Amino acid sequence: MEGATFSRSAMIAITVMRVLVGWHFMYEGIAKLTSSSWSAAGYLRQARGPAAGFFRWLAAQPNLLAYADQITMWGLTIVGALLILGLFTRLSALAGIGFLVLFYAANPPFVGYFYSLPSEGSYLIVNKQLVELGALLVIMVTGSGKYAGLDRIVHALITRKPAPAVVSPAR
Amino acid sequence: MAGEEDKNKVMPPIAAGGPRKLDRRDVLKGLSTVPALGLFGYAWQQQRQYDQATLQATAAPAAAGDVQELNIALIGAGAQGQVLTDAMLRIPGLRFRAVCDVWTEYNLRRVVNILRRFKHEPNAYEDYREMLDKEKELDAVVIATPDFWHAPHTVECLKAGKHVYCEKEMSNTLEGARSMVAAARETGKLLQIGHQRRSNPRYLHCYEKLLNEAKLLGRIVTINGQWNRAVAADLGAPDRYAIPEERLKQYGFKNMHQFRNWRWYKGLGGGPIVDLGSHQIDIYTWFLGTNPSAVMASGGLLYYDPATHEWYDTVMVVYDYQTPQGPVKAYYQTQTTNGSQGYFENFMGDQGTLLISESELNYAGKIYRDPNAPAWDEWIQKGYISAPKLQELQSQEEKSGAIADVRESVSPDEHTVPVVLRDPYHQPHLQNFFDAVRGKAKLNCPPEVGYESAVSVLKVNEAIDAKSILAFKPEDFHI
Repeated sequence: MEGATFSRSAMIAITVMRVLVGWHFMYEGIAKLTSSSWSAAGYLRQARGPAAGFFRWLAAQPNLLAYADQITMWGLTIVGALLILGLFTRLSALAGIGFLVLFYAANPPFVGYFYSLPSEGSYLIVNKQLVELGALLVIMVTGSGKYAGLDRIVHALITRKPAPAVVSPAR
Repeated sequence: MAGEEDKNKVMPPIAAGGPRKLDRRDVLKGLSTVPALGLFGYAWQQQRQYDQATLQATAAPAAAGDVQELNIALIGAGAQGQVLTDAMLRIPGLRFRAVCDVWTEYNLRRVVNILRRFKHEPNAYEDYREMLDKEKELDAVVIATPDFWHAPHTVECLKAGKHVYCEKEMSNTLEGARSMVAAARETGKLLQIGHQRRSNPRYLHCYEKLLNEAKLLGRIVTINGQWNRAVAADLGAPDRYAIPEERLKQYGFKNMHQFRNWRWYKGLGGGPIVDLGSHQIDIYTWFLGTNPSAVMASGGLLYYDPATHEWYDTVMVVYDYQTPQGPVKAYYQTQTTNGSQGYFENFMGDQGTLLISESELNYAGKIYRDPNAPAWDEWIQKGYISAPKLQELQSQEEKSGAIADVRESVSPDEHTVPVVLRDPYHQPHLQNFFDAVRGKAKLNCPPEVGYESAVSVLKVNEAIDAKSILAFKPEDFHI
């Protein structure tokens, strides 16, 4: 996407979207961090679909589960904060996509699956996780932080001084 | 049109700017989304304040006026200790002074951190004797340790002059249970055993109003109680939280697996019949007003790995009771491989049926009037039971095309027991204990009652091994 051009209103819209997604990620993370007993175990044990075996196996490994819990809680919080700030936007969008791929894969709304966990809507293959994943793709490829976000400052600082011209006195 | 406007305001290629200065525009746009983080912080603060306010609203006021503040300690900060702590945090006038758990790496830290969040400042101990030595101010101790530790913990706490709330099963041995009764009598301190249904308002309502006053069931002849629990994986623990082997041995565990899954091991716990059945069999005895006269049982380890499970995962029991009204047969089953139908107790008399459970979600209290029984209008008017749900047997029959056999009984009217507990299940029983400590109530489950229950329940495992009917003598229940 380097070199692509976007209208001002398009960039503002993408920035708004980035802040919203970041907000959601951050609160999902903080809500888990501040709950005394949150663990991914319940969600993993309910796993369905082609990858269910892996997720259930993970839930049964106390060591790995403890790491998975920490990574999820802190990962969501940090990704959320970075998205809101527009700092390391591409990297944090990619990390967010990674989380969503895992969440989606654990409970995919495929044809013929019925979940005992209540869901708040009606989904066929596409659910809100996938929609959020799509939003992060847009954020990632447009590098929205360089338009409105700390990335813009970081980028400007890095590229502020022109590289010294190579002088070749010998010639 | 928007399209034209957009064309006029095409942005320069992002990141293709090449070397340039950090200008005012960059700084402003760069920081433009920072306020969103501030807004998030503000919203989160509001959410936390709201959570705190609702917590304080549901939790009764701390030390409200005339309530005498009690200094308390918790021994055993595992899953059950956590359940009791959650309930106690809602009871006014309690001050946590100490928490004791041998799993210092995990349980102890967790519960201490939670208590700090609620503005308690408990001291943390690994060794309960050290705790009793140092914490002279304690009024009461709540014990939620593995069953085989109940007797030593309870006896030492009583002898140190503390009142004790001890989880059920009172002990994994009758000798242990007897030593607890003796210590309570010697010291004159209170000992409440954690059969929490004894303080549950719905059970109390059924016992006092429906059974004793209104006698709605007529003569109870049979009972059926069940606890069906789904397959569960063994409990684990991350290696970095593992207890050093030396400490495990010191406290009677072979390894971390045994420490986490002590309920399945002989000598440590009593298996599902004791963990689950003891609650419900206690209700049989309470409601019938007499102890059983005999027990026969069948059980076995049908499903789980015998290397890590010593007790029976499946148990079916029949008790005989000789009540003043006549003999009663009481069935009980617990199995741990399928959770459907959950847990309940069903009392069947010649005039009605009472289906009750501690659960507020399933079988929370239904009473059925036998068509031959006298009308219950009086008790509906008094608010003891709800008005009957109308039976539509006839229309159902027509719809389904089924033809009822003339010998089939007509379905009885269904009424609801109108008592709901909106607190954690253990809260009323703990409240009863602390009220008794303050001299304002009588214990609902003193050690003698806990002992009777232990005699009835521990005998089941014996009966399974004996493969025959075992009789109880009335003196078995007395100390």
